[in-house]
Amino acid sequence: MSVLDFFRKASSPAPPRAAQPVDGDLFDDQFQKKLDSLAIVSRRVFAGRMRAERRSKKKGSGVEFADHRDYAPGDDFRFVDWNAYQRFGKLLVRLYEEEEDLGIYFIVDCSASMGFGGGKKFDQARRLAAALAYVGLSNLDRVTMVGVANEVVAHLPGSRGKATIFKIFRFLRDLSPGGTTDLADAITTVVAQHKRRGLAVLVSDLFDPAGFERGINVLRYNKFEPYVLHIVDPADGRPALRGDVRVYDCETGDEREVTITDALLAKMDGAYREYLAEIERFCAKNQVPYFAAPVDVPFDELVLRVFRRGGFLR
Amino acid sequence: MAFTGFSLGALALVFAATALAVTVLYVLKLRRRPVAVPFSAIWQRVLKEKEASELFSRLRNLLSLLLQLVLVALLVLALGDPRPAQGSSGGRDIVVLVDTSASMQATDVAPSRIEVARGKIREMIEGLSASDRLLIARMDASTVPLSTMTSEPSELTAAVAHIESTDTRADLGAGLAFALDVLRDAKHPEIVVVSDGALDTDLGRQLDLSKVQLRFTKVGARGRNVAITGFSVRRYPLDASRYEVLLEVTNTNDAPQEVELTLLGDGSVVDVSRLTLKPNERLPRVIADLGGASRKLEARIRLGDGKSDDLGADDHAYALMPERRRARVAVVTRGNTYLEAALLLDEYLDVVTLEPAAYHGDAGFDVTIFDGVAPAPPPGGGVLYLNPPEVGAPVKLGRALQDFGFDTWDRKSQVLRWMAVENVQVARGHALGAEPGDRVLGASEGAPILVQGRRDGRPFVALGFDPRDSDLVLRVGWPLFVLNVIHSFAEDDTSYVSSFRTGEAWHVPAPSGAVSALVRDPSGRERELPVREGRASLFGERAGFYELRARPDAAPQPFAANLSDPAESRIEPAAALELSGKKAAGPLEVRVGARKQVWALLVLFALVLSAVEWLTYHRRVTV
Repeated sequence: MSVLDFFRKASSPAPPRAAQPVDGDLFDDQFQKKLDSLAIVSRRVFAGRMRAERRSKKKGSGVEFADHRDYAPGDDFRFVDWNAYQRFGKLLVRLYEEEEDLGIYFIVDCSASMGFGGGKKFDQARRLAAALAYVGLSNLDRVTMVGVANEVVAHLPGSRGKATIFKIFRFLRDLSPGGTTDLADAITTVVAQHKRRGLAVLVSDLFDPAGFERGINVLRYNKFEPYVLHIVDPADGRPALRGDVRVYDCETGDEREVTITDALLAKMDGAYREYLAEIERFCAKNQVPYFAAPVDVPFDELVLRVFRRGGFLR
Repeated sequence: MAFTGFSLGALALVFAATALAVTVLYVLKLRRRPVAVPFSAIWQRVLKEKEASELFSRLRNLLSLLLQLVLVALLVLALGDPRPAQGSSGGRDIVVLVDTSASMQATDVAPSRIEVARGKIREMIEGLSASDRLLIARMDASTVPLSTMTSEPSELTAAVAHIESTDTRADLGAGLAFALDVLRDAKHPEIVVVSDGALDTDLGRQLDLSKVQLRFTKVGARGRNVAITGFSVRRYPLDASRYEVLLEVTNTNDAPQEVELTLLGDGSVVDVSRLTLKPNERLPRVIADLGGASRKLEARIRLGDGKSDDLGADDHAYALMPERRRARVAVVTRGNTYLEAALLLDEYLDVVTLEPAAYHGDAGFDVTIFDGVAPAPPPGGGVLYLNPPEVGAPVKLGRALQDFGFDTWDRKSQVLRWMAVENVQVARGHALGAEPGDRVLGASEGAPILVQGRRDGRPFVALGFDPRDSDLVLRVGWPLFVLNVIHSFAEDDTSYVSSFRTGEAWHVPAPSGAVSALVRDPSGRERELPVREGRASLFGERAGFYELRARPDAAPQPFAANLSDPAESRIEPAAALELSGKKAAGPLEVRVGARKQVWALLVLFALVLSAVEWLTYHRRVTV
């Protein structure tokens, strides 16, 4: 390599490092047994096509009473509430909530920023998605996996049953971070592709130049129940930099010359925290469950303890 | 203020160039290191606030530039090595005469006196004030400066490392004369003698020490010593296969001392004896009638209790046995019984007798004797002319002499050694015309009759009469004369020439025809010496065996040297030094003060500034 090549190489933006491949054995047997006892608690009831362990809005042949309605010719006489007829002199039919399966969509952010910092965020995101998917499958839910960046980059159609987890592992393993972030566009595509509403777990660092709100709002406005799993790397707020540097965005390439000082780093840390607080405020305001998942918190602890404490798992 | 490094003009030029370079570097926009960040939007928020303080930042950059320029100025100034102008301060000019004589090898103070002396001089250097200057000189048989008159501690410290003791005695007079010469016109002159005080204070010359502060730094604690102060060997003149040794052992202590004396020949023990010496006794001892083929003789003593005394340098003595080789002698004569008889006395002579007509200038003889004739001499070797004729002799014949004898003669001449010539009667002969450079060994009424000299590098001895016309041939001196001449030519000396004495100029016989010679001293160090008149001259400082060679591939010719100095072996240190009734003051006073190394201060200041700049840079005060 010539000296010119060296300087050229040194001055050009370094390509983001590829994420570390997810370990083939994402969860060992012991870990899977622990997850078996957990199920996703859905704050709303969604309609489903198959019976499962969730309550749905669909009234039918379940065992739990839901409501009455006026009798109409053709209704099954077994559901006429004779006690109400004696009291009110009016034929009313009992309606029962029918238990059906729940559709869960894991929307995993695959943009370049997820691979920043050695791919720790991306690894954390994939492990969390895999774990939650396993829990969903264990509860007979239909799990759909989607990888997004500025568009949908990968898609695993919804399926049920624990055996599907291996397909999910394979799917997640094949993902790699890259490209810019445009959650709104990508999620709009996801929503259009999936008519059936359900739980949409957005696993992302929410570094969206167009604004993190837009992607979440797309889910909200389309009757999905969004869950925000915010992957947080503290190093993003306090980078290990000193001196005169030219910072550039690993996704957009936007650059800016800056001299890093302790004061600037403190300001940067403050701005980052403010950004996190902003996201949290938005979610709270719009009743969107928000969970911060720091990369430096051990994965199993995050799943088993932090999520349970936060009410995410039953 | 004077600049001893770069000149003021050069400094200005260097400063201008460097300042320009620094400024250009500041003006140039440096290419910054690219660093990726995950989300630049957050950086944009922070940097918006920073832009507001851009003007102040530029001012701070200017401050940083000024700081750099000051740094450059300091370093450039340091290059000039600025010093206070001479004479502006009351600094002392000091000459340190460090005694490097043999007595300084004494080990009564650990590890040795010379090492302690080095330490004391180092302390002096550390105690010099800013304006003091100092010169270190080695003082033994000669005085050698080891440094210049300087205030540079590094140069002085380097000079201290070159202080080594020799096997000679110290010449205090020469040392002081040297120091006075150096300190002439000095405003505050001081001479510091670092010595054990075992010095000959009878200077033998007039030295004016009144304007000089004389100081004495004592080294040494005691002086328990027994020495070999004399050692020589000679072959018996008439039986050169045997020899005798003369030794002198001196007890310098105030108590009787028993010593064991060992004589070695070529490394093998020849004789061992025990001697009891009275206090301060010089005991001569002759070991007679020794035989053997040994060439290198060494005498050693050690105390009777098996311990070593304080000075080991004089516990050994060396001597070299004169080599006995067969000398080839050509005698060109018409017949001389007395001469032939004299030559029969030395069995180491190979004598060839030739009629003058049969002589053709044959080479290969160490000595050629022309008896009454003077043909062209052969190449190489010495020539003895007996009653030379008018033509062909190296000296011209003067007036004729009748009934004369030796009125004057050179008693130190090797040719007339052991001879009593005052009663020699000569019937007839001629005066010899000595030329400049010739040595008249004997004369009658002012007319030279025995002359020694050189012609074309060839030595000769000329006798101005026929020995048969005198009673010389009837005397014991006749064969001695013939053999002395032959031995002087062949360098086969039967006298006490076994060793030289250190601290003197030696004139070592060199192989004939050599113009230079290599000498290897006892430490193995070699040096080349010029040869003049058949002798290589050197100043001897080390006792032991030396080797001299005319060429690197020639056989070495050894010779020995000894300290042999009873005064130097008396190593009891003196408490004080007193010269001409003037007592030397104590050790050098320590003066604490900054040295005149302004450049060091400038560099130090530049370093401090640089540290401040570094600190402020990293604290982002000047960025």
